[in-house]
Amino acid sequence: MSIAQNPLSVEVTLPREDVALIAVEGYLDVDTATEFQHHLANQLHHGRRHFLLDLSSVPFMDSSGMNIILRVYQQARDIPGSVHIISPAPAVLRILELTGVSITVPVSGSVEEALARVDAFEGEQGGQDSPQA
Amino acid sequence: MSISEQPHDSGEGEAPPAPASPPVRSESPADPTDDGPAPDRSAPSASPVGRLAATVERLRREVRAAQAEAEGRALVELAKGVLVERLQCGPAQAARQLMELAEQAKVTPLELAVEVINQAARDRMSEVTDAFLAATSETAEPVVDSAAVRLRAAESGALAADDTQAVADSLLQQALLPLGAVAVAIWAAGPDGSLTLAGSAGFSPVEAARWRYVPPDVVTVARRGLTERDGQWITSLAATGLPSIGRHQHPDGGRAALPAGTGGRVHGVLEIVWPTPTDPQPARIARQLEALAELCAHTLETYTLRQGSVSDPRVMPDAAELMDLADGLHDPALVLVPHLDDSGHLVDFRIQHVNGRFLDPAGRPRAVINGALLLEAYPMAAGDSELFQRVERVHATGEPFRAQRMNLTALVDQVPLSAVADISISRHGSGVLLLWRIEDETARLASLLQNAQRLGRIGGFEENLLTAEITWNGQLFDLYGRSPSSTPVPLEELPAHAHPDDTVAIRRFLRTVLHQRRSASTAFRLQRPDGVTRHIRVVAEPVLDTDGRLFAVRGAYQDISAQHWTEVALAATRDQLAHTEQQATERNRLTLQLQHAIMPPAQAPLQVPDLQVAVRYRPAETEQLVGGDWYDAVVLPSGMVLVCVGDVAGHGIEAATSMVVLRNALRGLAVTGAGPGQLLSWLNIVAHHLTGAVTATAVCGLYDPARHTLRWARGGHLPPVLVRDAEAAPLPLVKGILLGAVPEASYEEAELQLEPGDTLLMYTDGLIERRDRSVEESLRHLLTTARAAPRTLDQQLDRLLTYSRSDTDDDTCIVGIRVG
Repeated sequence: MSIAQNPLSVEVTLPREDVALIAVEGYLDVDTATEFQHHLANQLHHGRRHFLLDLSSVPFMDSSGMNIILRVYQQARDIPGSVHIISPAPAVLRILELTGVSITVPVSGSVEEALARVDAFEGEQGGQDSPQA
Repeated sequence: MSISEQPHDSGEGEAPPAPASPPVRSESPADPTDDGPAPDRSAPSASPVGRLAATVERLRREVRAAQAEAEGRALVELAKGVLVERLQCGPAQAARQLMELAEQAKVTPLELAVEVINQAARDRMSEVTDAFLAATSETAEPVVDSAAVRLRAAESGALAADDTQAVADSLLQQALLPLGAVAVAIWAAGPDGSLTLAGSAGFSPVEAARWRYVPPDVVTVARRGLTERDGQWITSLAATGLPSIGRHQHPDGGRAALPAGTGGRVHGVLEIVWPTPTDPQPARIARQLEALAELCAHTLETYTLRQGSVSDPRVMPDAAELMDLADGLHDPALVLVPHLDDSGHLVDFRIQHVNGRFLDPAGRPRAVINGALLLEAYPMAAGDSELFQRVERVHATGEPFRAQRMNLTALVDQVPLSAVADISISRHGSGVLLLWRIEDETARLASLLQNAQRLGRIGGFEENLLTAEITWNGQLFDLYGRSPSSTPVPLEELPAHAHPDDTVAIRRFLRTVLHQRRSASTAFRLQRPDGVTRHIRVVAEPVLDTDGRLFAVRGAYQDISAQHWTEVALAATRDQLAHTEQQATERNRLTLQLQHAIMPPAQAPLQVPDLQVAVRYRPAETEQLVGGDWYDAVVLPSGMVLVCVGDVAGHGIEAATSMVVLRNALRGLAVTGAGPGQLLSWLNIVAHHLTGAVTATAVCGLYDPARHTLRWARGGHLPPVLVRDAEAAPLPLVKGILLGAVPEASYEEAELQLEPGDTLLMYTDGLIERRDRSVEESLRHLLTTARAAPRTLDQQLDRLLTYSRSDTDDDTCIVGIRVG
């Protein structure tokens, strides 16, 4: 029902070769989570290390959506890479904070901010270059 | 046949007569309609000159006389030849003998010659002439002599002629002109039904050329004659509207078209033209003409041979091909070849071959039918069914015959059985292919029923109770394991053949049928003499006579052994299914029992000074949704009180198991005296390393009874709600990620100073979760409900559950503590 009424739209652009900017539009719930996950898995498969999730057009997200974010977070961390959430709506931000996901997955106000965090991460990694277990 | 060789015999005796005749005849065919070339051409221009016409007529008569004389001489020579052979004398002696006999018999030598030939030949022509002579002598017609002579003369001419054209001339001159006919056409029939003008006399050459070929399916007089066994007799051509050769010359004239056949095979048609309307010919004339038609056939036989279009009909080079064809057909097929008697007449057809589909209606093996004569194998074929006649016709004309739903009569064990069949008969070379498809509905249904009974293993019976006569079908003997020749078992004696345990059921069945006279059925175990036990269902109905008295019972036995075992198997499957269902139910019940065992819905109150603790656990209504919610409230050895709620993602036994692990782990960890943040950090490690990547949320607090303080932390869980002075508010959202998502995590702690009367509520999201609302909205509702504080903590928790606006059927846990 939510598919018909609020189909999920996922648009992927590549600000850099190993950075996928994924703009999501629609409800991230049990009905759309799988589709969202396929997009992320596809990008992982193509060697992206950093995932910028633009959730500004996601009015609602439930635990299914959150689990997808946690999963891509764990996968990116092993590469090593990173996951960033950009401009979540208040309700979504609330969930992220409630579940503590925002502690692990940084929330940025804009794409530029997120890219800056990616740079910082890269710099950090360049110094250490040892993936966390 | 025998006649045709005789001219050679006689020809040696005295040479001149036989060769002499053809040149005379050959004059007329050159211009049949006009009598003689020269005089006739001048006739139209000199029409007034009657003398010339008279001369023409005289010349014509002379020609005819010469011709007749020549023919007569030929016949006399023929008769002499016969006498030479019979009397074993020389030709001269034979000639003298003939003259003497003629004198004695007071007939002309020519007539006597015909008599001699007739006696020697004994062929169809003889019959005709004899009958003719007999008939004419009765009516004392004066033309007796000439008729017989005429026919023989025509025959002689026809046989001596080497082509059909000559035959046509001869026939017209010798036999037909005296009958008033003016023209004759001899048609050769092609295998495709076409007609070729093989010879004609009395028509203009142009007209003859125009009609040299008539394609198949064009209905003409001749074509009609081909298909009519007894020929086509037309009083006036105009009345029929049929086209034919010479119609413009003689539009109103009578016509006759006669099939010309030998040995049962029609080779063509003899068509005779009268100038004026002609009544149907008397029988004797008709027979004469038929005889002439037969004469034509002999020539036509040769004619077709010369054309090379059809091979010799007497041999069958194509029989093998026809058999192959028959074998490839899906209908019963017989390959028939004509069977001729010694004189070349068709008397029957030999069944050369029957194909694999062929089933004899009388049930005889194929080998018996193969090679038999059609009428011997199927005597009834000659009867009303007309099958034989149809075959004969097709063989004669080559025109295929097809009929649907034709009545056939077959003699089966001396009993004529009628069957309806689709029939197809066609001629191929000299063979005939006969196909039939028996369409008898009842026979088909009977066979169907028989097969159904066999497949369904149904045995039928009928018992006459007055005569004690019992009829069983073959299947029933099989069912009983008895030979078909043994005595059937009466219904009354059934118990003796059944398993003793089934006796009661059988007695009840018998009582219903025989006493109460109602249809009944029962199932029993039949114990056969061979020691085999079969599960049998018997169905029977009483048959009452007109007075309502029972006089017979009929019914059927069905072997339901296979069905029985299917049912047994089905029952076993059903049991297994039920078992599986039960297992599933038990799993769910186990989950619930687990929940209950760990978290009794009503817990014994904790003995803590100045603190009330209440817990509520409401499992999901749908059993399989019972999942991983947990609560705990326990006094630790240190005197501190551990309160917590948690929620493992997912449902069912796996979630419940994880819940047990986390709950017990937390209890164990809490004994160490570590703070809530540290406890959750450890608990996160436990969750992360649980199989199946479990995530869970939890809120955990340690209440210090001495200081009335609560130190707490949360892992992705809703923060506790504090109800103080009719105000309800959630505690701040201290940082802490849900358990199990990351390998290591730290959890922020907060401390709350509680006052007397304060109530603190911890709950799982089953209490507030709604699909259509945000957490905020749901929480606001909860706070409103929580604010209206009833007297006791238990009442408050009950109220929260009651007024919960959750619309998801989810587990719900609430832990409440009240200071005071």
